[in-house]
Amino acid sequence: MIIKKDRMGALLGTLAQHKTVFVPALIDGVSKFAPYREGLDVRFDLHNTKLPPKDLLFPQTQKMYRYGETAEGGHYVEQFDESSERVLFGVRPCDMRSINLLDDVFLTKGFVDEFYEAQRKKLLTVCITCAAPAETCFCESMGLSPNEAPDADILLKSCEDCYKVTAQTQKGEAALADWRDFLEDTQAQVLPGKTSLRLNFEGVPQKLSRMYEDPIWDEISTKCLNCGTCTFVCPTCYCFDISQENKMKEGVRFRCWDSCMFSEYTAMAGWHNPRPTKKERVRNRFMHKLCFFEERYGKTLCVGCGRCVECCPVALDITRLIDDIGASDA
Amino acid sequence: MPKITVQHGCAKAQLALVPKVAKVIKITVETPDVKSFRLQMPNGEASFLGEPGQFGIMGIIGSGECVFVISAQGEDWIEFTVKRVGQVTEMLHALSEGDEVFVRGPYGNWWPYEDCRGRDMLFIAGGIGLPPVRSFLQYCLEHRADYGRIDLVYSGSTYDELVFKHQLFDEWKTVDNMGVHVSLYHEDSRWDGEVAYTAPYLEKLAIDPMGSNGEGRVAVICGGPSLYRTGTKELLKEGYAPENVLTTLEMRMKCGIGKCGRCNIGGKFICLDGPVFSLEEVAQMNRDE
Repeated sequence: MIIKKDRMGALLGTLAQHKTVFVPALIDGVSKFAPYREGLDVRFDLHNTKLPPKDLLFPQTQKMYRYGETAEGGHYVEQFDESSERVLFGVRPCDMRSINLLDDVFLTKGFVDEFYEAQRKKLLTVCITCAAPAETCFCESMGLSPNEAPDADILLKSCEDCYKVTAQTQKGEAALADWRDFLEDTQAQVLPGKTSLRLNFEGVPQKLSRMYEDPIWDEISTKCLNCGTCTFVCPTCYCFDISQENKMKEGVRFRCWDSCMFSEYTAMAGWHNPRPTKKERVRNRFMHKLCFFEERYGKTLCVGCGRCVECCPVALDITRLIDDIGASDA
Repeated sequence: MPKITVQHGCAKAQLALVPKVAKVIKITVETPDVKSFRLQMPNGEASFLGEPGQFGIMGIIGSGECVFVISAQGEDWIEFTVKRVGQVTEMLHALSEGDEVFVRGPYGNWWPYEDCRGRDMLFIAGGIGLPPVRSFLQYCLEHRADYGRIDLVYSGSTYDELVFKHQLFDEWKTVDNMGVHVSLYHEDSRWDGEVAYTAPYLEKLAIDPMGSNGEGRVAVICGGPSLYRTGTKELLKEGYAPENVLTTLEMRMKCGIGKCGRCNIGGKFICLDGPVFSLEEVAQMNRDE
């Protein structure tokens, strides 16, 4: 089955009648996933969006519960459920993998995050393969393929003027019923993508686990501004803070994205801070991505999307770090 | 005797992220800046209860919340002992009996009290480090016949800093086969006891690391970073086996369930895998101090 590229607009219009369909779009010069509507500058030709799709499942700010005083003088707590039926349409294989990693964080290890789970169950994922990865893309070095996305409900393989459509899950199979009018039973030549940036990631997690006290952390952290851009644009960074906002006698407790690059992140009562300088913070971030997460979940927390490489204001480049460590004899 | 094995990632919080409202039924002033808050669920609802060493999160309704060890518990109440050090703890200290707070938990792992049966025990704490240690000590005292000789070495920088004075100077003095050794770091007009830092005091007391039955005494140590460093060093020097020295690690926490990210030490999340670890385990960690 294929769908012609010029039929995509019509398909989105149909799907958006029943669900909120998030598509890659250019809004005020920034590419991100936005709810489809007529007139939206939808861009399936982008390499990947500047902002990752993680906020569909893990919103930048998420209300958890409201509280306030009762008539009897006590207090009440009322949990929010703001989840809704959503389609993530046009996500790339790297970002699809990032959702698999977020699933591990929020749904395993003895505690299920009820807010994440509620939205995850209501999300349908439609992935488009990358025929032409960007020069900052290195997903293949991280064990992914720009041509596959095993976790996606529906996979669209990029061809010249169409996409080859495959349902990969039962959920995807069922969803294709709504696509019927737009699909054609024709063959098409899939355009395979290949990343040009190649790293040697082999053995890097093991080497890193022996490099905690290595001088490399002093060197690479020197130029870091601790601005947090890398964590903001990273599709797999999931740290959050919990805070609240009050109005009269009521309030809302919410969680919001946080960043391990910020000094207050680990500051404790009495101002003891186990990660007092950027050296400890940069080390923790890279080691978490490439080593600690693997110890805990058996996977690497970097999908090779290249966003941090592109957005870091001082070019603190994870690909260079991986290559340096790969080449070292630690 | 079995090897002491600390379990990790074993918590099953009954209240994961969304708290319940609890009533403060009793406030005990422990020191000029430490109070204990006894909480009960309203309407006779059962409170969550923890294992010795587990912690909960208590918060001001409309403001922040913080992590505290469950320092004591009864059939339908739990207690947190809180030192006034920052915004939330200042607000907690301003509460009165009858006020309501948020509470959630229990979180984290617990002291390996089953594996420690039959052993002599040495509890070491400094300042506000006593509440977590007491949660284990109290368990041993409630099951007195299961444990051998019990010693407590407790220090504070001033007389005021010593918490649970009633137990230190009255209650525990009468317990059979138990020694209570208290020192202050600085001279104090109200104090005619030992003046010493914890590590030299331990050296002076020379409590046999093998224990009276030769099976190896278990040491439980909890305090600030410098007490932890000097105290554990002293214990190892005296010949305590690293797997028999138990401690709790501290990191800032927000969620309590291993999701929010900040409390990791290497690949371990202190809220979930900890806070209790043996020195043998700590030695294998890549850690920031």
